[in-house]
Amino acid sequence: MNRKSMMTTSLMLAISGIVFLGWAGIENSKHDFSSREWTGGDLCAACHVPHRSVAPTQGPLWEPDADLNKTFGTAVGGDANPQRGTMMCLRCHDGTIAGDTISGVSGNSFANHQHDGIFALGHGTTDHPVGVAYPNIDRGFRPAGVLEAEGVVKLPAGNVECVSCHDPHNTAGAPFMLVRSNERSALCLTCHRK
Amino acid sequence: MSRLNQLVLASCVLVSTALADESVVNSLHDLSARGVGPVRAVHENEICIFCHAPHNNAPQTPLWNRENRRTHYRIYESSTTDARIDQPGGPSKMCLSCHDGTLALGNVFSRPASEPVVTTFRTMPPGNADLATDLSDDHPIGFRYDRALSNADAQIRAPEVVSNLLPMGDHGEVHCTTCHDPHNNELGNFLRVTDQMSAICISCHDLAGWQGSAHANSGKRVTGRTVDQWERLPYGTVRDNGCTNCHKVHSARNHERLLRHQREEDNCLNCHSGDVASFNIAADIRKRSGHDGSLRANVHDPAELPFSMARHVECVDCHNPHAVSHNPVGSVRGTQGRFVEGPNRFVSGVTITGREIDHSQFGYEICFKCHGDSAARPRLTTTRQISQTNTRLEFQPGNPSFHPVAGARRNPDVVSLISPLRVGSTVTCTDCHNSDSSRFAGGTGASGPHGSIYDPLLVANYETDDFTMESAQSYALCYRCHSRDSILGNESFTLHRLHVVDLRAPCSICHDAHGIYRGQGNATNHSSLINFDTSVVTTADTPFGPMLQYTDTGRISGNCTLTCHGVAHLQFPYANSAAGTSARGATNTRGATRKGIRR
Repeated sequence: MNRKSMMTTSLMLAISGIVFLGWAGIENSKHDFSSREWTGGDLCAACHVPHRSVAPTQGPLWEPDADLNKTFGTAVGGDANPQRGTMMCLRCHDGTIAGDTISGVSGNSFANHQHDGIFALGHGTTDHPVGVAYPNIDRGFRPAGVLEAEGVVKLPAGNVECVSCHDPHNTAGAPFMLVRSNERSALCLTCHRK
Repeated sequence: MSRLNQLVLASCVLVSTALADESVVNSLHDLSARGVGPVRAVHENEICIFCHAPHNNAPQTPLWNRENRRTHYRIYESSTTDARIDQPGGPSKMCLSCHDGTLALGNVFSRPASEPVVTTFRTMPPGNADLATDLSDDHPIGFRYDRALSNADAQIRAPEVVSNLLPMGDHGEVHCTTCHDPHNNELGNFLRVTDQMSAICISCHDLAGWQGSAHANSGKRVTGRTVDQWERLPYGTVRDNGCTNCHKVHSARNHERLLRHQREEDNCLNCHSGDVASFNIAADIRKRSGHDGSLRANVHDPAELPFSMARHVECVDCHNPHAVSHNPVGSVRGTQGRFVEGPNRFVSGVTITGREIDHSQFGYEICFKCHGDSAARPRLTTTRQISQTNTRLEFQPGNPSFHPVAGARRNPDVVSLISPLRVGSTVTCTDCHNSDSSRFAGGTGASGPHGSIYDPLLVANYETDDFTMESAQSYALCYRCHSRDSILGNESFTLHRLHVVDLRAPCSICHDAHGIYRGQGNATNHSSLINFDTSVVTTADTPFGPMLQYTDTGRISGNCTLTCHGVAHLQFPYANSAAGTSARGATNTRGATRKGIRR
């Protein structure tokens, strides 16, 4: 990358409103379990195991015992097809192990609403839909191609998943491990044309 | 990489474009601490969070983040609506969670109740945006806009032709979000379609006559006609303001029909008092005899029945503000206003046969609403042989005599008519009842029965007091159509001059201007509008007892039996030899005078 394009990139980052708050990275973040005995001091071991991965060519080396087929309610209209980017999170964040994703009224809202179908778009949902296809043709949303070019919000297999908004490795260092700061609702407006 | 940079740059430009007027960002709904409006957060920097949250929100789409309270609202009521208006629900309730002023603006689900977002105003501050829980002064919501509604109300468009820019609810019901897009304030007031020239209103409302009306087309400036800060008209001309000249969609002073001003007439007189509209109607109706709406507390209700309504007069009794247009300038007697013209288009009325109609065809049909069979019609002012206050009956074309309002009268005895009037012409109510300052009367004011210095709302002076000195002014009303020269030249009644000039008897003592209903009088005794004023004319003693009677004996001839000014007439005859018809007293009229009147 030459000097000019580096400058341009920094400028664009500034325009995009990405502000690095606090410490970025998984170290010392809430996902840093290296001090716990069961990880043996390994920063990655909570989620990744180097040699036992199920499908090493398709993604990170997931800890293989993860129950990726666990069901969380019924998808309304059957349009939800949660991928690893969601299921891996729910392995802990289903209200039985980890607390909620956002500090709030209850610590186990996912568990409470299992029957409501958390993946679905529709009535009765209390959480943003995940495991659903990004509505690329809707005028109310910015084109997936633009999101891809920006590289901030990720749409694995064209889906909205937990990892679309959250970065479990806390690369951006934004609150709630968001992929970018939601200052002025900038993260929401990355997809939503409102 | 440089290619990717360009793409990213392009998308940044796209973002900033999206953040212009048509975005919630920097709109009045941007309640973040950097929001532009007076109502905003003190510290919170997120924008969406006041209504939506990705997690821990209410179980209600779209990721609703506020409490859905069970508030009871007072809803809009109107005597003319065909819609079944229910308590607001769906998206309307979401809007009301801030706009009814009951719930703290910072009270969002995604935060513990103990730590609400701190806002500049705890709840919605008073003003246009605060609808309160009384929605009876707001455009109705929560009713189904379906074919049943458009079939019941001809002035509502069929739902399928309403622009898809105005989305209805899941069951076709009208919500706040039908007119408003909470995320887009490009057009102001978060409207989905502009309110300029009332485009958004007429998307649904199809008012008879509106497109060609003066109120839809007038380029008159309305600047300066605001009453208070909440009533600022959005545009500079009558045309651009359209409906909002008179109506307020929210917080209307006059709840039913959402009128801008509490008193009906003020909605009209705000402009029609000489400042915006051409004519000063306010001055007219406040004259000695006027159709002054402010005199009576009763209001006009489009659903009222003419026969049973309470007595009242309002501008909208005679004018349909949705259809009014300019009157073609014309002051030819006998032609003006027989058919309703611009100012009275699409006004309800009662026909000469007593049938209620939605759109009057003739001017008198409008008058008959109040001055016909209505129980609220004015009382009798002159005592006559035959008493009748129902003008619809007085003007029946089958009557023994009548002024030709509802039909022509072919009475050859009326030789005094001034051209272009002739026997067989028709006249209108407004030929006699009109503003004294109107263009029709030779002045510069508005034509029409708004108000006059001459009672009862007459276009010209008309003395009814006994012993009035005859002059062109005394009976100016009559002389507008009936030649003074002809009358005083005795061309018809041979003793006109004697009675009117010498004996100072006003026209009204013998003639009942409207007509004599055939159910009460006959053609022999009540031709030529003869119906004596019994406060002046009394009975004469005859061999058959006391009598008060006029008898028509043929072409311009007749006789009277009565006592007037102390003079007894016993079958006192008159006849006009010039008329060339057979008449009993075909003698010298002077002689007849001497013989007939005993002093």
